[in-house]
Amino acid sequence: MAPDDRKRRFELLALPHLDAAYNLARWLAGNGADAEDVVQDAYLRAFRYFDAWQGGNFRVWLLTIVRNSFMTWAKENRTPRMVFRSESPADDGGEIADIVWGHQPRDPESLLLESIDSQTLTRLMERLPAEYREVLLLREVEDLSYKEIATVVSVPIGTVMSRLARARLALRRLWLSNESREAAHGV
Amino acid sequence: MACDRVRPLLPLLADGELSLTRRWMVSRHLARCPDCAAQLEDLQTMRTAMRTNLPFHQAPPDLAARIGNVLPREMPPVPIGRGSRLTLAGRTFAFAGSTFAGALAGVALTFLVMNGRADDAMTQAVLNSHVRSMMADHLTDVLTEDRHTVKPWLSARLDVSPPVPDLAPEGFPLVGGRLDYIDGHRAAAVVYRRDKHVINLFAWAAPNTADAGFRQEARQGFNLMTWRHDGVAYCAISDLEADQLQTFSRLVAGD
Ligand SMILES: [Zn+2]
Repeated sequence: MAPDDRKRRFELLALPHLDAAYNLARWLAGNGADAEDVVQDAYLRAFRYFDAWQGGNFRVWLLTIVRNSFMTWAKENRTPRMVFRSESPADDGGEIADIVWGHQPRDPESLLLESIDSQTLTRLMERLPAEYREVLLLREVEDLSYKEIATVVSVPIGTVMSRLARARLALRRLWLSNESREAAHGV
Repeated sequence: MACDRVRPLLPLLADGELSLTRRWMVSRHLARCPDCAAQLEDLQTMRTAMRTNLPFHQAPPDLAARIGNVLPREMPPVPIGRGSRLTLAGRTFAFAGSTFAGALAGVALTFLVMNGRADDAMTQAVLNSHVRSMMADHLTDVLTEDRHTVKPWLSARLDVSPPVPDLAPEGFPLVGGRLDYIDGHRAAAVVYRRDKHVINLFAWAAPNTADAGFRQEARQGFNLMTWRHDGVAYCAISDLEADQLQTFSRLVAGD
Protein backbone atom coordinates (compact mmCIF):
# COMPACT_ATOMS: atom_id res chain seq x y z
CA MET A 1 0.00 0.00 0.00
CA ALA A 2 1.36 3.43 -0.88
CA PRO A 3 2.08 5.60 2.18
CA ASP A 4 -0.55 8.12 1.12
CA ASP A 5 -3.18 5.41 0.83
CA ARG A 6 -2.27 4.07 4.21
CA LYS A 7 -2.63 7.49 5.77
CA ARG A 8 -5.92 8.18 4.02
CA ARG A 9 -7.34 4.81 5.04
CA PHE A 10 -6.30 5.41 8.63
CA GLU A 11 -7.85 8.86 8.75
CA LEU A 12 -11.04 7.56 7.23
CA LEU A 13 -11.31 4.96 9.98
CA ALA A 14 -9.92 6.87 12.92
CA LEU A 15 -11.12 10.45 12.63
CA PRO A 16 -14.84 9.65 12.99
CA HIS A 17 -13.98 8.37 16.48
CA LEU A 18 -12.11 11.49 17.52
CA ASP A 19 -14.90 12.71 19.80
CA ALA A 20 -15.13 9.34 21.53
CA ALA A 21 -11.35 9.26 21.95
CA TYR A 22 -11.20 12.81 23.23
CA ASN A 23 -14.11 12.27 25.60
CA LEU A 24 -12.41 9.27 27.20
CA ALA A 25 -9.07 11.10 27.45
CA ARG A 26 -10.78 14.17 28.88
CA TRP A 27 -12.45 12.11 31.60
CA LEU A 28 -9.28 10.20 32.41
CA ALA A 29 -6.93 13.18 32.39
CA GLY A 30 -9.34 15.59 34.02
CA ASN A 31 -8.60 18.58 31.79
CA GLY A 32 -8.65 19.56 28.13
CA ALA A 33 -5.00 20.36 27.51
CA ASP A 34 -3.72 17.04 28.81
CA ALA A 35 -6.53 15.22 27.03
CA GLU A 36 -5.38 16.70 23.71
CA ASP A 37 -1.83 15.50 24.34
CA VAL A 38 -3.06 12.02 25.19
CA VAL A 39 -5.30 11.83 22.13
CA GLN A 40 -2.62 13.08 19.78
CA ASP A 41 -0.18 10.55 21.17
CA ALA A 42 -2.78 7.79 20.87
CA TYR A 43 -3.48 8.62 17.22
CA LEU A 44 0.21 8.58 16.38
CA ARG A 45 0.58 5.21 18.01
CA ALA A 46 -2.55 3.86 16.40
CA PHE A 47 -1.26 4.97 13.02
CA ARG A 48 2.10 3.42 13.66
CA TYR A 49 0.59 0.10 14.64
CA PHE A 50 -2.33 0.31 12.26
CA ASP A 51 -1.25 -2.96 10.67
CA ALA A 52 -1.84 -4.72 13.96
CA TRP A 53 -5.52 -3.92 13.84
CA GLN A 54 -7.21 -7.17 12.92
CA GLY A 55 -10.44 -5.79 11.59
CA GLY A 56 -12.47 -5.88 14.81
CA ASN A 57 -14.34 -2.92 16.22
CA PHE A 58 -12.08 0.00 15.40
CA ARG A 59 -13.53 2.30 18.05
CA VAL A 60 -12.83 -0.26 20.78
CA TRP A 61 -9.30 -0.76 19.45
CA LEU A 62 -8.73 2.98 19.44
CA LEU A 63 -10.17 3.51 22.92
CA THR A 64 -7.89 0.75 24.22
CA ILE A 65 -4.93 2.65 22.82
CA VAL A 66 -6.20 5.94 24.24
CA ARG A 67 -6.38 4.34 27.67
CA ASN A 68 -2.89 2.89 27.31
CA SER A 69 -1.61 6.27 26.17
CA PHE A 70 -3.15 7.85 29.21
CA MET A 71 -1.51 5.29 31.50
CA THR A 72 1.88 5.95 29.92
CA TRP A 73 1.34 9.68 30.09
CA ALA A 74 0.22 9.52 33.70
CA LYS A 75 3.25 7.47 34.64
CA GLU A 76 5.65 9.81 32.89
CA ASN A 77 4.07 12.88 34.42
CA ARG A 78 3.58 11.30 37.85
CA THR A 79 0.13 12.76 37.97
CA PRO A 80 -2.01 12.16 41.02
CA ARG A 81 -4.67 11.00 38.60
CA MET A 82 -2.65 7.85 38.11
CA VAL A 83 -4.84 6.33 40.70
CA PHE A 84 -5.73 2.98 39.22
CA ARG A 85 -5.12 0.68 42.12
CA SER A 86 -3.71 -2.71 41.37
CA GLU A 87 -6.55 -5.15 41.11
CA SER A 88 -7.56 -6.29 44.52
CA PRO A 89 -8.75 -9.87 44.92
CA ALA A 90 -11.99 -8.56 46.38
CA ASP A 91 -12.71 -6.59 43.25
CA ASP A 92 -11.71 -9.42 41.00
CA GLY A 93 -13.81 -12.11 42.56
CA GLY A 94 -15.93 -12.14 39.48
CA GLU A 95 -18.97 -12.92 41.63
CA ILE A 96 -21.70 -10.37 41.57
CA ALA A 97 -23.97 -12.18 43.95
CA ASP A 98 -22.50 -10.35 46.92
CA ILE A 99 -22.87 -6.90 45.44
CA VAL A 100 -26.44 -6.99 44.37
CA TRP A 101 -28.18 -3.91 43.21
CA GLY A 102 -31.41 -3.47 45.08
CA HIS A 103 -30.78 -4.71 48.58
CA GLN A 104 -31.11 -1.17 49.79
CA PRO A 105 -34.51 -0.11 51.06
CA ARG A 106 -36.49 1.90 48.63
CA ASP A 107 -36.97 5.23 50.27
CA PRO A 108 -38.56 8.49 49.17
CA GLU A 109 -35.07 9.90 48.69
CA SER A 110 -34.40 7.66 45.75
CA LEU A 111 -36.97 9.63 43.83
CA LEU A 112 -34.60 12.56 43.97
CA LEU A 113 -32.26 10.58 41.77
CA GLU A 114 -34.08 12.03 38.84
CA SER A 115 -33.33 15.60 39.76
CA ILE A 116 -29.59 15.82 39.42
CA ASP A 117 -27.76 18.32 37.31
CA SER A 118 -24.74 17.75 35.15
CA GLN A 119 -22.36 19.68 37.39
CA THR A 120 -23.29 17.86 40.56
CA LEU A 121 -23.08 14.52 38.82
CA THR A 122 -19.63 15.28 37.44
CA ARG A 123 -18.48 16.34 40.89
CA LEU A 124 -19.72 13.07 42.38
CA MET A 125 -18.03 11.09 39.61
CA GLU A 126 -14.74 12.80 40.41
CA ARG A 127 -15.01 11.54 43.97
CA LEU A 128 -15.19 7.91 42.87
CA PRO A 129 -12.08 5.72 42.62
CA ALA A 130 -10.63 5.95 39.12
CA GLU A 131 -11.45 2.38 38.18
CA TYR A 132 -15.10 2.90 39.14
CA ARG A 133 -15.34 6.17 37.23
CA GLU A 134 -13.80 4.52 34.23
CA VAL A 135 -16.27 1.65 33.89
CA LEU A 136 -19.26 3.94 34.46
CA LEU A 137 -17.95 6.26 31.79
CA LEU A 138 -17.31 3.48 29.28
CA ARG A 139 -20.76 2.04 29.92
CA GLU A 140 -22.97 5.10 30.15
CA VAL A 141 -21.18 7.70 28.06
CA GLU A 142 -19.18 5.70 25.52
CA ASP A 143 -21.96 3.10 25.47
CA LEU A 144 -19.72 0.03 25.34
CA SER A 145 -20.89 -3.51 26.04
CA TYR A 146 -19.42 -5.55 28.91
CA LYS A 147 -17.20 -7.40 26.49
CA GLU A 148 -15.93 -4.18 24.93
CA ILE A 149 -15.24 -2.66 28.33
CA ALA A 150 -13.33 -5.81 29.25
CA THR A 151 -11.15 -5.29 26.18
CA VAL A 152 -10.48 -1.62 26.81
CA VAL A 153 -9.71 -2.07 30.50
CA SER A 154 -7.91 -5.42 30.05
CA VAL A 155 -9.80 -7.32 32.72
CA PRO A 156 -12.04 -10.41 32.60
CA ILE A 157 -15.69 -9.79 31.84
CA GLY A 158 -16.67 -10.95 35.35
CA THR A 159 -14.56 -8.15 36.75
CA VAL A 160 -16.38 -5.66 34.54
CA MET A 161 -19.71 -6.83 35.95
CA SER A 162 -18.65 -6.72 39.58
CA ARG A 163 -16.79 -3.44 39.19
CA LEU A 164 -19.74 -1.84 37.45
CA ALA A 165 -22.07 -3.06 40.17
CA ARG A 166 -19.79 -1.65 42.88
CA ALA A 167 -19.37 1.59 40.98
CA ARG A 168 -23.11 2.11 40.68
CA LEU A 169 -23.70 1.42 44.34
CA ALA A 170 -20.88 3.77 45.31
CA LEU A 171 -22.23 6.53 43.09
CA ARG A 172 -25.72 5.99 44.39
CA ARG A 173 -24.48 6.36 47.97
CA LEU A 174 -22.66 9.60 47.16
CA TRP A 175 -25.70 10.80 45.30
CA LEU A 176 -28.13 10.16 48.16
CA SER A 177 -25.86 11.61 50.84
CA ASN A 178 -25.41 14.65 48.63
CA GLU A 179 -29.15 15.05 48.30
CA SER A 180 -29.78 14.76 52.02
CA ARG A 181 -27.00 17.23 52.79
CA GLU A 182 -28.40 19.75 50.38
CA ALA A 183 -31.86 19.21 51.78
CA ALA A 184 -30.54 19.78 55.30
CA HIS A 185 -28.94 23.02 54.25
CA GLY A 186 -32.05 24.12 52.49
CA VAL A 187 -30.32 24.45 49.13
CA MET B 1 -37.45 -17.64 39.75
CA ALA B 2 -36.84 -16.40 43.27
CA CYS B 3 -36.05 -12.80 44.16
CA ASP B 4 -32.51 -13.55 45.25
CA ARG B 5 -31.77 -15.06 41.88
CA VAL B 6 -33.40 -12.21 40.00
CA ARG B 7 -31.66 -9.34 41.78
CA PRO B 8 -28.13 -9.98 40.44
CA LEU B 9 -29.57 -10.14 36.95
CA LEU B 10 -31.23 -6.71 37.09
CA PRO B 11 -28.12 -4.75 36.03
CA LEU B 12 -27.55 -7.21 33.19
CA LEU B 13 -31.13 -6.75 32.10
CA ALA B 14 -30.80 -2.97 32.23
CA ASP B 15 -27.54 -3.13 30.30
CA GLY B 16 -28.99 -5.39 27.61
CA GLU B 17 -26.59 -8.20 28.48
CA LEU B 18 -29.10 -10.97 29.22
CA SER B 19 -29.85 -13.80 26.85
CA LEU B 20 -33.35 -13.97 25.43
CA THR B 21 -34.31 -16.90 27.63
CA ARG B 22 -33.14 -15.32 30.83
CA ARG B 23 -34.68 -12.02 29.87
CA TRP B 24 -37.99 -13.75 29.49
CA MET B 25 -37.64 -15.52 32.83
CA VAL B 26 -36.77 -12.28 34.60
CA SER B 27 -39.62 -10.33 33.02
CA ARG B 28 -42.06 -13.00 34.13
CA HIS B 29 -40.83 -12.56 37.68
CA LEU B 30 -40.95 -8.78 37.45
CA ALA B 31 -44.55 -8.84 36.29
CA ARG B 32 -45.67 -10.28 39.62
CA CYS B 33 -43.00 -8.96 42.02
CA PRO B 34 -43.37 -5.22 42.76
CA ASP B 35 -40.20 -5.23 44.91
CA CYS B 36 -37.89 -6.39 42.16
CA ALA B 37 -39.69 -4.23 39.63
CA ALA B 38 -39.12 -1.19 41.86
CA GLN B 39 -35.43 -2.00 42.15
CA LEU B 40 -35.11 -2.22 38.41
CA GLU B 41 -36.91 1.08 38.05
CA ASP B 42 -34.52 2.61 40.56
CA LEU B 43 -31.55 1.42 38.56
CA GLN B 44 -33.03 2.60 35.31
CA THR B 45 -33.74 6.02 36.77
CA MET B 46 -30.14 6.31 37.78
CA ARG B 47 -28.89 5.12 34.40
CA THR B 48 -31.11 7.56 32.56
CA ALA B 49 -29.91 10.40 34.74
CA MET B 50 -26.30 9.46 34.03
CA ARG B 51 -26.79 9.06 30.32
CA THR B 52 -28.58 12.38 30.13
CA ASN B 53 -26.43 14.42 32.45
CA LEU B 54 -22.89 13.11 32.25
CA PRO B 55 -21.04 15.46 29.93
CA PHE B 56 -19.75 14.08 26.65
CA HIS B 57 -16.68 16.12 25.84
CA GLN B 58 -16.39 16.86 22.16
CA ALA B 59 -12.98 17.26 20.64
CA PRO B 60 -11.90 20.86 19.97
CA PRO B 61 -12.67 21.75 16.34
CA ASP B 62 -9.06 22.03 15.26
CA LEU B 63 -7.83 18.80 16.84
CA ALA B 64 -8.52 16.66 13.77
CA ALA B 65 -6.50 18.97 11.57
CA ARG B 66 -3.65 19.07 14.05
CA ILE B 67 -3.55 15.28 14.22
CA GLY B 68 -3.62 15.08 10.43
CA ASN B 69 -0.60 17.35 10.35
CA VAL B 70 1.49 15.35 12.76
CA LEU B 71 0.74 11.98 11.19
CA PRO B 72 3.85 11.26 9.18
CA ARG B 73 3.31 10.61 5.50
CA GLU B 74 5.58 7.65 5.63
CA MET B 75 6.06 5.42 8.55
CA PRO B 76 7.36 1.92 8.41
CA PRO B 77 4.86 -0.47 9.92
CA VAL B 78 6.18 -2.00 13.12
CA PRO B 79 6.30 -5.77 13.47
CA ILE B 80 4.11 -6.72 16.37
CA GLY B 81 5.48 -8.63 19.31
CA ARG B 82 9.00 -7.29 18.94
CA GLY B 83 10.64 -4.34 20.62
CA SER B 84 8.92 -5.07 23.87
CA ARG B 85 12.13 -5.93 25.58
CA LEU B 86 12.05 -5.19 29.23
CA THR B 87 15.03 -3.52 30.80
CA LEU B 88 15.79 -4.95 34.17
CA ALA B 89 18.16 -2.81 36.15
CA GLY B 90 18.55 -4.59 39.43
CA ARG B 91 15.05 -4.57 40.76
CA THR B 92 13.92 -1.50 38.92
CA PHE B 93 11.98 -2.10 35.77
CA ALA B 94 12.84 0.66 33.38
CA PHE B 95 10.53 0.94 30.44
CA ALA B 96 12.12 2.13 27.25
CA GLY B 97 10.09 4.18 24.84
CA SER B 98 9.72 1.18 22.61
CA THR B 99 7.71 -0.70 25.19
CA PHE B 100 4.63 0.61 23.59
CA ALA B 101 5.15 -2.05 20.98
CA GLY B 102 4.37 -4.39 23.83
CA ALA B 103 1.29 -2.44 24.77
CA LEU B 104 0.08 -2.53 21.22
CA ALA B 105 0.89 -6.19 20.93
CA GLY B 106 -1.48 -6.69 23.84
CA VAL B 107 -4.18 -4.85 21.99
CA ALA B 108 -3.52 -6.71 18.78
CA LEU B 109 -3.54 -10.05 20.53
CA THR B 110 -6.75 -9.29 22.30
CA PHE B 111 -8.31 -8.73 18.97
CA LEU B 112 -6.87 -11.91 17.59
CA VAL B 113 -8.78 -13.71 20.29
CA MET B 114 -11.95 -11.71 19.82
CA ASN B 115 -11.94 -12.36 16.13
CA GLY B 116 -11.56 -16.05 16.67
CA ARG B 117 -8.59 -16.06 14.36
CA ALA B 118 -6.40 -17.66 16.95
CA ASP B 119 -6.53 -21.40 16.76
CA ASP B 120 -5.65 -21.66 20.39
CA ALA B 121 -7.38 -19.17 22.64
CA MET B 122 -5.53 -20.41 25.68
CA THR B 123 -2.13 -19.73 24.14
CA GLN B 124 -3.24 -16.29 23.12
CA ALA B 125 -4.55 -15.64 26.60
CA VAL B 126 -1.16 -16.53 28.03
CA LEU B 127 0.52 -14.25 25.52
CA ASN B 128 -1.89 -11.47 26.41
CA SER B 129 -1.17 -11.83 30.09
CA HIS B 130 2.56 -11.92 29.53
CA VAL B 131 2.56 -8.76 27.44
CA ARG B 132 0.08 -7.04 29.74
CA SER B 133 2.12 -7.86 32.82
CA MET B 134 5.04 -5.99 31.33
CA MET B 135 3.17 -3.05 29.92
CA ALA B 136 0.90 -2.32 32.84
CA ASP B 137 3.72 -2.23 35.35
CA HIS B 138 2.07 -5.15 37.01
CA LEU B 139 4.75 -7.76 36.88
CA THR B 140 4.31 -8.81 40.47
CA ASP B 141 1.97 -8.52 43.43
CA VAL B 142 4.70 -9.80 45.72
CA LEU B 143 8.16 -8.65 44.78
CA THR B 144 10.68 -10.87 46.49
CA GLU B 145 13.46 -13.28 45.71
CA ASP B 146 12.34 -15.42 48.60
CA ARG B 147 10.37 -18.39 47.34
CA HIS B 148 9.18 -19.11 50.88
CA THR B 149 7.18 -15.89 50.64
CA VAL B 150 5.90 -16.29 47.10
CA LYS B 151 4.60 -19.84 47.37
CA PRO B 152 2.35 -19.42 50.43
CA TRP B 153 1.13 -16.08 49.12
CA LEU B 154 -0.07 -17.69 45.91
CA SER B 155 -1.32 -20.89 47.55
CA ALA B 156 -3.50 -18.87 49.89
CA ARG B 157 -5.25 -17.22 46.97
CA LEU B 158 -5.56 -20.05 44.50
CA ASP B 159 -6.80 -23.58 44.13
CA VAL B 160 -3.38 -24.64 42.94
CA SER B 161 -0.10 -24.54 44.76
CA PRO B 162 2.41 -23.70 42.06
CA PRO B 163 5.98 -24.92 42.23
CA VAL B 164 8.33 -22.09 43.13
CA PRO B 165 11.76 -23.71 42.94
CA ASP B 166 14.95 -21.83 43.68
CA LEU B 167 16.61 -21.62 40.29
CA ALA B 168 19.03 -18.80 41.01
CA PRO B 169 22.00 -21.18 40.96
CA GLU B 170 20.96 -22.18 37.45
CA GLY B 171 20.81 -18.55 36.39
CA PHE B 172 17.06 -17.97 36.73
CA PRO B 173 16.56 -15.73 39.78
CA LEU B 174 13.04 -15.32 41.14
CA VAL B 175 11.44 -11.89 40.74
CA GLY B 176 8.11 -12.47 42.45
CA GLY B 177 4.58 -13.66 41.92
CA ARG B 178 1.16 -12.33 41.12
CA LEU B 179 -2.43 -13.39 40.53
CA ASP B 180 -3.52 -13.46 36.94
CA TYR B 181 -6.27 -14.66 34.69
CA ILE B 182 -5.89 -17.08 31.85
CA ASP B 183 -8.96 -17.38 29.73
CA GLY B 184 -11.23 -16.69 32.67
CA HIS B 185 -9.38 -18.96 35.09
CA ARG B 186 -7.54 -17.72 38.08
CA ALA B 187 -3.88 -18.50 37.59
CA ALA B 188 -0.62 -18.16 39.45
CA ALA B 189 2.06 -16.23 37.65
CA VAL B 190 5.52 -16.83 39.05
CA VAL B 191 8.03 -14.43 37.57
CA TYR B 192 11.64 -15.36 36.95
CA ARG B 193 14.26 -13.71 34.86
CA ARG B 194 17.30 -14.64 32.86
CA ASP B 195 19.59 -11.68 32.42
CA LYS B 196 17.26 -9.05 31.02
CA HIS B 197 14.53 -11.42 29.90
CA VAL B 198 11.40 -11.85 31.94
CA ILE B 199 9.83 -15.30 32.22
CA ASN B 200 6.24 -15.63 33.29
CA LEU B 201 5.45 -19.10 34.58
CA PHE B 202 1.69 -19.57 34.64
CA ALA B 203 0.00 -22.38 36.55
CA TRP B 204 -3.71 -23.01 36.83
CA ALA B 205 -5.96 -25.85 37.91
CA ALA B 206 -6.93 -28.23 35.13
CA PRO B 207 -8.74 -30.97 37.01
CA ASN B 208 -9.60 -34.23 35.31
CA THR B 209 -7.07 -33.81 32.54
CA ALA B 210 -4.35 -36.24 31.65
CA ASP B 211 -0.69 -35.38 32.09
CA ALA B 212 0.91 -33.99 28.95
CA GLY B 213 4.58 -33.63 28.05
CA PHE B 214 6.35 -30.46 26.96
CA ARG B 215 4.97 -28.71 23.94
CA GLN B 216 6.98 -25.92 22.47
CA GLU B 217 5.58 -23.08 20.43
CA ALA B 218 6.72 -19.75 19.06
CA ARG B 219 4.22 -16.97 18.62
CA GLN B 220 4.37 -13.23 18.04
CA GLY B 221 8.06 -13.15 18.88
CA PHE B 222 7.70 -15.07 22.13
CA ASN B 223 8.50 -18.64 23.01
CA LEU B 224 6.10 -20.77 25.01
CA MET B 225 6.42 -24.12 26.74
CA THR B 226 3.28 -25.85 27.96
CA TRP B 227 2.78 -29.02 29.93
CA ARG B 228 0.33 -30.60 32.34
CA HIS B 229 1.01 -32.54 35.49
CA ASP B 230 -1.23 -33.77 38.30
CA GLY B 231 -4.24 -31.70 37.28
CA VAL B 232 -2.26 -28.49 36.91
CA ALA B 233 -1.57 -26.82 33.58
CA TYR B 234 1.69 -24.95 33.16
CA CYS B 235 2.87 -22.47 30.61
CA ALA B 236 6.21 -20.71 30.60
CA ILE B 237 6.53 -17.76 28.27
CA SER B 238 9.37 -15.39 27.48
CA ASP B 239 11.31 -13.76 24.72
CA LEU B 240 14.19 -16.02 25.74
CA GLU B 241 15.69 -18.36 23.18
CA ALA B 242 13.68 -21.56 22.87
CA ASP B 243 16.40 -23.85 24.22
CA GLN B 244 16.88 -21.72 27.31
CA LEU B 245 13.16 -21.67 27.98
CA GLN B 246 13.19 -25.42 27.60
CA THR B 247 15.97 -25.71 30.16
CA PHE B 248 13.95 -23.50 32.48
CA SER B 249 10.78 -25.56 32.03
CA ARG B 250 12.57 -28.84 32.68
CA LEU B 251 14.01 -27.42 35.88
CA VAL B 252 10.56 -26.31 37.02
CA ALA B 253 9.00 -29.65 36.20
CA GLY B 254 11.87 -31.39 37.98
CA ASP B 255 12.45 -33.34 34.82
ZN1 LIG C 1 -38.71 -10.41 43.28
